[in-house]
Amino acid sequence: MRRYESVWVVNGDLPDEEAKAIIDKFSRIITSQGGVLVGVEDWGRKKLAYKIQGTLRGYYVAADFAGEPATVKELERNYRIDDRIIRYLTIKKADHIDPAALQEEIAARSKSHQVGELEGAAQPEGVSESEAVESAAEGAALSPQDSSLVESATASLPQED
Amino acid sequence: MPVMPRRRRKQFFVRRKVCRFCVDTNLLIEYKDVNTLRQFVTERGKIIPRRISGNCARHQRQLTRAIKQARLLALMPYTPQAPVA
Ligand SMILES: [Zn+2]
Repeated sequence: MRRYESVWVVNGDLPDEEAKAIIDKFSRIITSQGGVLVGVEDWGRKKLAYKIQGTLRGYYVAADFAGEPATVKELERNYRIDDRIIRYLTIKKADHIDPAALQEEIAARSKSHQVGELEGAAQPEGVSESEAVESAAEGAALSPQDSSLVESATASLPQED
Repeated sequence: MPVMPRRRRKQFFVRRKVCRFCVDTNLLIEYKDVNTLRQFVTERGKIIPRRISGNCARHQRQLTRAIKQARLLALMPYTPQAPVA
Protein backbone atom coordinates (compact mmCIF):
# COMPACT_ATOMS: atom_id res chain seq x y z
CA MET A 1 0.00 0.00 0.00
CA ARG A 2 0.99 3.56 -0.52
CA ARG A 3 0.43 6.58 1.56
CA TYR A 4 -1.67 9.33 0.06
CA GLU A 5 -3.07 12.67 0.92
CA SER A 6 -6.11 13.88 -0.89
CA VAL A 7 -7.57 17.34 -0.62
CA TRP A 8 -10.93 18.33 -1.97
CA VAL A 9 -12.70 21.63 -2.09
CA VAL A 10 -16.44 21.82 -1.66
CA ASN A 11 -18.27 24.75 -3.16
CA GLY A 12 -18.38 27.23 -0.29
CA ASP A 13 -21.86 28.42 -1.13
CA LEU A 14 -23.15 25.19 0.30
CA PRO A 15 -24.02 25.00 3.99
CA ASP A 16 -21.55 23.58 6.47
CA GLU A 17 -23.72 20.56 7.16
CA GLU A 18 -23.44 19.53 3.57
CA ALA A 19 -19.67 19.95 3.56
CA LYS A 20 -19.49 17.79 6.68
CA ALA A 21 -21.70 15.17 5.10
CA ILE A 22 -19.36 15.10 2.14
CA ILE A 23 -16.50 14.26 4.50
CA ASP A 24 -18.37 11.14 5.58
CA LYS A 25 -19.14 10.27 2.01
CA PHE A 26 -15.58 10.33 0.83
CA SER A 27 -14.22 8.76 3.98
CA ARG A 28 -16.50 5.87 3.29
CA ILE A 29 -15.41 5.66 -0.31
CA ILE A 30 -11.78 5.46 0.76
CA THR A 31 -12.37 2.70 3.27
CA SER A 32 -14.72 0.77 1.00
CA GLN A 33 -12.03 0.73 -1.66
CA GLY A 34 -9.50 -0.94 0.57
CA GLY A 35 -8.05 2.27 1.93
CA VAL A 36 -7.06 2.82 5.52
CA LEU A 37 -7.92 6.27 6.79
CA VAL A 38 -5.27 7.75 9.01
CA GLY A 39 -7.00 11.04 9.57
CA VAL A 40 -9.18 13.68 8.07
CA GLU A 41 -8.27 17.30 8.45
CA ASP A 42 -11.09 19.76 8.23
CA TRP A 43 -9.49 22.96 7.05
CA GLY A 44 -12.83 24.67 6.98
CA ARG A 45 -13.80 27.63 4.89
CA LYS A 46 -11.22 29.55 2.98
CA LYS A 47 -11.37 32.28 0.47
CA LEU A 48 -10.42 31.04 -2.95
CA ALA A 49 -7.56 32.74 -4.74
CA TYR A 50 -9.73 32.99 -7.82
CA LYS A 51 -13.30 32.34 -8.82
CA ILE A 52 -14.33 28.81 -9.46
CA GLN A 53 -17.80 28.19 -10.80
CA GLY A 54 -18.78 31.69 -9.86
CA THR A 55 -17.82 31.47 -6.23
CA LEU A 56 -14.91 32.71 -4.19
CA ARG A 57 -15.58 30.48 -1.24
CA GLY A 58 -14.46 26.97 -0.65
CA TYR A 59 -14.58 24.40 2.08
CA TYR A 60 -11.34 22.47 2.29
CA VAL A 61 -10.87 18.96 3.59
CA ALA A 62 -7.77 16.81 3.49
CA ALA A 63 -7.81 13.07 3.93
CA ASP A 64 -4.67 11.21 4.89
CA PHE A 65 -4.85 7.54 4.04
CA ALA A 66 -3.07 4.45 2.89
CA GLY A 67 -4.29 2.61 -0.12
CA GLU A 68 -3.67 1.22 -3.56
CA PRO A 69 -3.64 3.16 -6.80
CA ALA A 70 -7.09 1.74 -7.45
CA THR A 71 -8.32 3.38 -4.25
CA VAL A 72 -7.24 6.74 -5.56
CA LYS A 73 -8.69 6.08 -8.94
CA GLU A 74 -12.08 5.31 -7.51
CA LEU A 75 -11.91 8.25 -5.11
CA GLU A 76 -11.09 10.66 -7.88
CA ARG A 77 -13.76 9.22 -10.12
CA ASN A 78 -16.23 10.06 -7.38
CA TYR A 79 -14.84 13.56 -7.02
CA ARG A 80 -15.53 14.12 -10.67
CA ILE A 81 -19.06 12.81 -10.43
CA ASP A 82 -19.92 15.00 -7.46
CA ASP A 83 -20.45 18.50 -8.80
CA ARG A 84 -20.23 20.01 -5.32
CA ILE A 85 -16.50 19.29 -5.48
CA ILE A 86 -14.87 22.16 -7.30
CA ARG A 87 -11.26 21.08 -6.92
CA TYR A 88 -9.28 18.12 -5.73
CA LEU A 89 -5.68 17.08 -5.48
CA THR A 90 -4.23 13.76 -4.49
CA ILE A 91 -0.62 13.40 -3.58
CA LYS A 92 1.43 10.33 -2.93
CA LYS A 93 3.38 10.75 0.28
CA ALA A 94 5.12 7.39 0.35
CA ASP A 95 5.48 4.36 -1.87
CA HIS A 96 5.30 1.88 0.93
CA ILE A 97 3.81 1.76 4.36
CA ASP A 98 4.63 -0.16 7.46
CA PRO A 99 1.30 -1.56 8.66
CA ALA A 100 2.33 -1.62 12.31
CA ALA A 101 3.56 1.95 12.25
CA LEU A 102 0.40 2.95 10.47
CA GLN A 103 -1.80 1.49 13.20
CA GLU A 104 0.28 3.24 15.81
CA GLU A 105 -0.11 6.48 13.99
CA ILE A 106 -3.84 6.06 13.73
CA ALA A 107 -4.06 5.36 17.44
CA ALA A 108 -1.93 8.39 18.25
CA ARG A 109 -3.97 10.51 15.92
CA SER A 110 -7.30 9.63 17.49
CA LYS A 111 -5.85 10.38 20.90
CA SER A 112 -4.46 13.75 19.91
CA HIS A 113 -7.73 14.56 18.24
CA GLN A 114 -9.47 14.82 21.60
CA VAL A 115 -6.78 17.08 22.91
CA GLY A 116 -6.84 19.00 19.68
CA GLU A 117 -10.24 20.43 20.53
CA LEU A 118 -8.52 22.97 22.71
CA GLU A 119 -7.16 25.57 20.46
CA GLY A 120 -3.41 25.80 20.44
CA ALA A 121 -3.05 22.52 22.22
CA ALA A 122 0.47 21.28 21.75
CA GLN A 123 0.74 18.91 18.84
CA PRO A 124 2.81 15.82 19.43
CA GLU A 125 6.17 16.32 17.82
CA GLY A 126 6.42 12.98 16.08
CA VAL A 127 3.38 13.40 13.91
CA SER A 128 5.20 14.49 10.81
CA GLU A 129 2.21 15.36 8.78
CA SER A 130 -0.51 16.82 10.97
CA GLU A 131 -0.07 20.45 10.21
CA ALA A 132 -1.08 23.30 12.37
CA VAL A 133 -3.82 23.62 9.82
CA GLU A 134 -5.84 21.32 11.96
CA SER A 135 -6.35 23.85 14.69
CA ALA A 136 -7.01 26.60 12.22
CA ALA A 137 -9.74 24.54 10.70
CA GLU A 138 -12.86 25.79 12.40
CA GLY A 139 -13.64 29.33 11.50
CA ALA A 140 -12.14 30.86 8.43
CA ALA A 141 -8.45 30.24 8.33
CA LEU A 142 -5.70 32.13 6.62
CA SER A 143 -7.15 33.76 3.59
CA PRO A 144 -4.95 33.70 0.57
CA GLN A 145 -4.55 36.82 -1.45
CA ASP A 146 -7.60 38.02 -3.19
CA SER A 147 -7.62 36.98 -6.74
CA SER A 148 -9.92 35.66 -9.32
CA LEU A 149 -10.84 35.28 -12.88
CA VAL A 150 -8.74 32.38 -13.85
CA GLU A 151 -10.41 29.10 -14.29
CA SER A 152 -8.69 25.87 -14.89
CA ALA A 153 -9.62 22.31 -15.16
CA THR A 154 -9.47 20.10 -12.17
CA ALA A 155 -6.79 17.54 -12.41
CA SER A 156 -4.47 15.68 -10.18
CA LEU A 157 -0.81 16.29 -10.41
CA PRO A 158 1.75 13.66 -9.75
CA GLN A 159 3.89 14.21 -6.77
CA GLU A 160 7.18 14.90 -5.19
CA ASP A 161 10.37 13.12 -5.73
CA MET B 1 32.24 41.17 11.22
CA PRO B 2 32.41 37.50 10.31
CA VAL B 3 35.01 36.83 7.71
CA MET B 4 33.51 35.49 4.55
CA PRO B 5 35.54 32.66 3.16
CA ARG B 6 34.44 33.45 -0.34
CA ARG B 7 36.53 35.92 -2.19
CA ARG B 8 34.56 38.91 -3.14
CA ARG B 9 34.74 40.39 -6.54
CA LYS B 10 33.27 43.70 -5.67
CA GLN B 11 33.42 45.55 -2.47
CA PHE B 12 29.80 46.50 -2.47
CA PHE B 13 26.57 44.82 -3.34
CA VAL B 14 27.63 41.29 -2.72
CA ARG B 15 24.19 39.91 -2.21
CA ARG B 16 24.47 36.45 -0.84
CA LYS B 17 22.25 34.17 -2.78
CA VAL B 18 21.81 30.92 -1.02
CA CYS B 19 19.06 28.42 -1.14
CA ARG B 20 16.84 29.11 1.83
CA PHE B 21 15.64 25.55 1.92
CA CYS B 22 19.17 24.24 2.14
CA VAL B 23 20.02 26.69 4.89
CA ASP B 24 16.94 25.95 6.94
CA THR B 25 16.18 22.28 6.71
CA ASN B 26 13.12 22.74 8.86
CA LEU B 27 11.55 24.81 6.16
CA LEU B 28 9.50 22.34 4.21
CA ILE B 29 8.16 22.83 0.75
CA GLU B 30 4.52 21.99 0.77
CA TYR B 31 1.54 23.13 -1.22
CA LYS B 32 -0.29 23.78 2.03
CA ASP B 33 2.25 26.23 3.33
CA VAL B 34 1.06 29.17 1.33
CA ASN B 35 2.87 31.69 3.49
CA THR B 36 6.22 30.25 2.54
CA LEU B 37 5.34 29.72 -1.09
CA ARG B 38 4.15 33.26 -1.41
CA GLN B 39 7.66 34.50 -0.79
CA PHE B 40 8.73 32.92 -4.05
CA VAL B 41 6.23 34.48 -6.39
CA THR B 42 6.04 38.01 -7.70
CA GLU B 43 3.19 40.38 -7.04
CA ARG B 44 1.68 39.10 -10.21
CA GLY B 45 1.88 35.59 -8.93
CA LYS B 46 4.68 34.50 -11.19
CA ILE B 47 7.24 32.07 -9.85
CA ILE B 48 10.52 33.82 -9.19
CA PRO B 49 13.36 32.22 -11.14
CA ARG B 50 16.12 30.70 -9.13
CA ARG B 51 18.63 32.97 -10.73
CA ILE B 52 16.92 35.65 -8.67
CA SER B 53 15.87 33.76 -5.56
CA GLY B 54 19.09 31.79 -5.26
CA ASN B 55 17.36 28.49 -4.71
CA CYS B 56 19.19 25.37 -5.68
CA ALA B 57 17.85 23.34 -8.59
CA ARG B 58 16.45 20.61 -6.44
CA HIS B 59 14.51 22.88 -4.16
CA GLN B 60 13.36 25.10 -6.98
CA ARG B 61 11.91 22.04 -8.62
CA GLN B 62 10.04 21.08 -5.48
CA LEU B 63 8.97 24.65 -4.98
CA THR B 64 7.49 25.13 -8.43
CA ARG B 65 5.58 21.92 -8.09
CA ALA B 66 4.20 22.98 -4.72
CA ILE B 67 3.20 26.38 -6.08
CA LYS B 68 1.41 24.78 -8.99
CA GLN B 69 -0.41 22.44 -6.66
CA ALA B 70 -1.42 25.35 -4.46
CA ARG B 71 -2.69 27.20 -7.50
CA LEU B 72 -4.77 24.28 -8.58
CA LEU B 73 -6.49 24.21 -5.22
CA ALA B 74 -7.02 27.97 -5.39
CA LEU B 75 -4.81 28.45 -2.35
CA MET B 76 -2.67 30.74 -4.48
CA PRO B 77 -3.52 32.86 -7.48
CA TYR B 78 -2.36 32.19 -10.99
CA THR B 79 -2.60 35.89 -11.62
CA PRO B 80 -3.71 38.99 -9.68
CA GLN B 81 -7.39 39.28 -8.98
CA ALA B 82 -8.01 42.64 -10.52
CA PRO B 83 -6.61 42.42 -14.00
CA VAL B 84 -3.66 44.75 -13.95
CA ALA B 85 -4.17 47.14 -16.78
ZN1 LIG C 1 18.31 23.96 -1.77
